[in-house]
Amino acid sequence: MTVDVQYYVLLSMAVFCIGLFGVLTRRNALLFLMSVELMLNAANINLIAFAFYHGNLTGQLFALFTMALAAAEVAVGLGIILVLYRNFRDIDVTVPTTMRW
Amino acid sequence: MAATATGPFGFAPAIAVLPLVAFVVTLLFGKHLPKKGALPGIIATAGSLLISLVMFAAVGGGNAYHTTLYEWTAGAAASETGAEGVAFTFGVLIDPLSALMLVIVSLVALLVHVFSLGYMNAEGETGLPRYYAELGLFTFSMLAFVFADNLLMAFMFFELVGLCSYLLIGFWFRTESAPSAAKKAFLVTRFGDYFFLIGVVAIAATFGTVSFAGEGSFVTAAETAIDDGATLFGFDAQTWVTITGLLVLGGVLGKSAQFPFHTWLPDAMEGPTTVSALIHAATMVAAGVYLVARMFGYYALSPTALSIIAFVGGFTALFAATMGVVKDDVKQVLAYSTISQYGYMMLGLGVGGYVAGVFHLLNHAFFKALLFLGAGAVIVLMHHEQNMWKMGGLKDKAPVTYYTFLAGALALAGIVPFSGFWSKDEVLFDALIIGLEQPVILAAYAMGLVAVFFTGFYTFRMVFLTFHGEPRSETAEDPHQVGWAIKVPLIVLGILATVTGLVNMAPVAKLLDVDITFLEFWLDGEYGYVEGLTYHAYHETVAFEEGVIGGSETTTMLLSAGLSLGLALAGAFTAHTLYNVPEPTRHMQKLGGAYSLLRNNYYQDEYQVWLAQGFTLPLARAADRFDQTVIDGIVNGTSTVSLFSSNWVKRIQTGIVTNYAALLVGGFIALLLVLGYLGGWFA
Repeated sequence: MTVDVQYYVLLSMAVFCIGLFGVLTRRNALLFLMSVELMLNAANINLIAFAFYHGNLTGQLFALFTMALAAAEVAVGLGIILVLYRNFRDIDVTVPTTMRW
Repeated sequence: MAATATGPFGFAPAIAVLPLVAFVVTLLFGKHLPKKGALPGIIATAGSLLISLVMFAAVGGGNAYHTTLYEWTAGAAASETGAEGVAFTFGVLIDPLSALMLVIVSLVALLVHVFSLGYMNAEGETGLPRYYAELGLFTFSMLAFVFADNLLMAFMFFELVGLCSYLLIGFWFRTESAPSAAKKAFLVTRFGDYFFLIGVVAIAATFGTVSFAGEGSFVTAAETAIDDGATLFGFDAQTWVTITGLLVLGGVLGKSAQFPFHTWLPDAMEGPTTVSALIHAATMVAAGVYLVARMFGYYALSPTALSIIAFVGGFTALFAATMGVVKDDVKQVLAYSTISQYGYMMLGLGVGGYVAGVFHLLNHAFFKALLFLGAGAVIVLMHHEQNMWKMGGLKDKAPVTYYTFLAGALALAGIVPFSGFWSKDEVLFDALIIGLEQPVILAAYAMGLVAVFFTGFYTFRMVFLTFHGEPRSETAEDPHQVGWAIKVPLIVLGILATVTGLVNMAPVAKLLDVDITFLEFWLDGEYGYVEGLTYHAYHETVAFEEGVIGGSETTTMLLSAGLSLGLALAGAFTAHTLYNVPEPTRHMQKLGGAYSLLRNNYYQDEYQVWLAQGFTLPLARAADRFDQTVIDGIVNGTSTVSLFSSNWVKRIQTGIVTNYAALLVGGFIALLLVLGYLGGWFA
């Protein structure tokens, strides 16, 4: 049996909104990073669901790309968080406001 | 025969290069050279004279020379007449006219250099290397101007001679008057040259060429355009030729000190007298008239332009002559006579009398250089006193100066058989025969004729006050002696001023029916010539009709000659009655109101100053205010507004990542809603 594509879309939308909510409300940089991961994976769910729906592999291929991208993003993000901690003794994203004008 | 054999013509550029070398040498090493740098100049001008004479002989041998030396830029712009591309070059054009002028310029330059030994060196002037360097630069520019084969090159050297004039008028820069006179001369001539520059650009843009001679000349192109009935820049071809011709004429009027740009020349007498002789009498001032002669074919196409030239010339001749009558300074009298004589040349050229104009140019160069050098000698005799009322009685004490000066004065006044008579008579005759058909020219002729009387009067007033009567000051009783360096140039020029008239005795030729009008043959291509640049080619183009009095040309000619000679003699006789007495007194007060009018030069300076202060200055101030407030206001306002607004907008940059994310999401949603609305979701 197969699941209809709209359920996948609903799932993906829910995951995306959770991620977005995290980005907009959390102050901890690590949670920030996790929220971004959630949004990326919401996109992945969509890609694979529609690849299955259309019966070709393009979406799956792009999902693989997104994963690689996410891995790289995490590496960079963690690096930033480390430096942040070293400079401010904190990983609260609202603290380092000195880099504006 | 219009052969372009190289032969001796290969040396033509050296005519100008030699003085340039002298300029560099004198500038760099003048201090260490004997005679403070006079020798390089003398050697160089002697060399130039020699090569010029060779050129003259070669043209006399039936050759002419026209070549391009260097092309410094060429463009692909299409001109109004359709010729593709325009090239700006330096070239040499040696034809009868330029060969003649080269000889005049290099000869006068040589004599002035020699005279300077007596006038500047012997008088212990300082800054002599600078003086000789500037003379060298002037000679270079003038000679290059004379053999220029195109209008742009002519313009460039025209400007250079203007610069040299400025430098040399301001030679005694520590005095108050000399720098001011130099500035005035520069500014007034520059004002004219401004129109000249526009004229050059207009001609280049119209015809795609600025060349004087040959098939590709702008004269030929203009002739073709008129024949084809072409429309140039929205004007009838002939109208456009008139407009561009008059623009170029602006430079001519400035340089040749014609009304209303004549005011600089009397002031230019602040320079050394040698400079006045070379630059402000014989050569540079002649550059304007020479330019008209050089591109005479162009002016010949436009009767309107010719009439204007003739009228301005006639008016200036009379106008300047009347002012010369009341001057006390010997150099001032000569300055006004120079303006007046150039007026005659313009009159001659303006009535199509190409030969007459050039003839007067030739004679004037010699007799006016002579008179100025004579005045220089008088100034040396008088220990630098220039006021004629303090002279007198120099006749017996300085015979060489007296007799040469007298020869120049007779030539200037136009007394037969001295040179000035023949050329002035020819100018007036040409003006008369055209004037009989054209009222405007007749008015110009009448003014020229009346000016003859004044010329005779002021010339002999000057001679009598300076040389005759009793000495009126101590220096006049015991004058300083002058050396050979002063006497030799005077004698050479004295002889020339007496005899050059014989080269074109048109009245005698006509009466006796012999072919002795050599200058006419010379300019008419009897010897070497360049196609299209001959007297009869011009004569065919000029559209004036000629009339005669009493049904015969001979009668008209005799009447004209008799009239001008009679007036000149009347003027001289009046001067004789009034001033050739042991103790001459001023008669000027008898003129009443006219006296102060003449004394103040018709308030020409005043009105030009008023024009500058009352009109140009407020206009410049208004323009400055417009620039400061409106233009700068817009520029400054733009930056102020953006600075002020960005100061507010930058506050959305909080530095908090969450805010950026919120803005991003908000912006995306807003975009989505807008696109959705436009896409019809909510319809």
